[in-house]
Amino acid sequence: MSLTNDDNMSAHSQVSSHFFEDLLDSIIVDVASECHRVARLGLDRNFEEEEEELRLSAQARARVADSSNNGETNSKYVVDIFGQTHPPVANEIFECMNCGRSIVAGRFAPHLEKCMGKGRKARLKVTRSATAAQNRYTRGSPGSSYSSYSNSTGMNRLSNGASSGVAGEEYSNGSFEEL
Amino acid sequence: MRNSVNRPPTPDAVEDQEKEPTLQEIINIKMIESGEKEKLMELLRERLVECGWKDEMKALCRAYIKKKGTNNVTVDDLVHVITPKGRASIPDSIKTELLLRIRAFLASAAL
Repeated sequence: MSLTNDDNMSAHSQVSSHFFEDLLDSIIVDVASECHRVARLGLDRNFEEEEEELRLSAQARARVADSSNNGETNSKYVVDIFGQTHPPVANEIFECMNCGRSIVAGRFAPHLEKCMGKGRKARLKVTRSATAAQNRYTRGSPGSSYSSYSNSTGMNRLSNGASSGVAGEEYSNGSFEEL
Repeated sequence: MRNSVNRPPTPDAVEDQEKEPTLQEIINIKMIESGEKEKLMELLRERLVECGWKDEMKALCRAYIKKKGTNNVTVDDLVHVITPKGRASIPDSIKTELLLRIRAFLASAAL
């Protein structure tokens, strides 16, 4: 059975697309399975903290709204050399670039801590177990693991003592892989 | 001699005619055997992480889990949640890149 060139091409593209869809489906199942695992094992620290965060942010915003009304009662106003006063809770509200939530500036630092991870063991545990295996799998040969290690030299000092090649790698992916 | 047992003749074992493997199957086997499928899978994974697709999918999952409650969600649920959006939000550049590689492989395998 001889196919013309055109037939060949369209059969090829059909098969290619089909194959691509297969790959994609496998990856989708992987992602779903990973999320399911993290949720079930309670590994996502941010998950419970989100409720707490929302509450605290709402509180901060309420305080900001209030203190702009009764400035007299607040004795902590500092007067700078230009005679300007600064409210104790920075009252700008803007959007966190990481998670997209609207945060009061005064709560931004603690929010970022939780949003981006504090670099504590608990966070290490999440990225370590869920993604380190995947990273190891991806990296493959020791040659390549060296290169990623040297890339993340800036990050390495965060991995407290338990530094192996894996710990270094996971941090280089940390900002992406963290749940 | 009378047959003591009345039984119908043993039917010929119906043999499933071995279907000729489809092109799709041949490709799949060749891809796996040569290790190309694995490479493509890793390439696709990497690209999807880089472009933020994986994060989007994870966010979808988390939102769904939050809504349904952690213990009421199955992997199957999540797969059904992500699949339509996941397939649709693949950046064209990535899709093209992968398709080109697959077709290059087909050509090199002279299929």
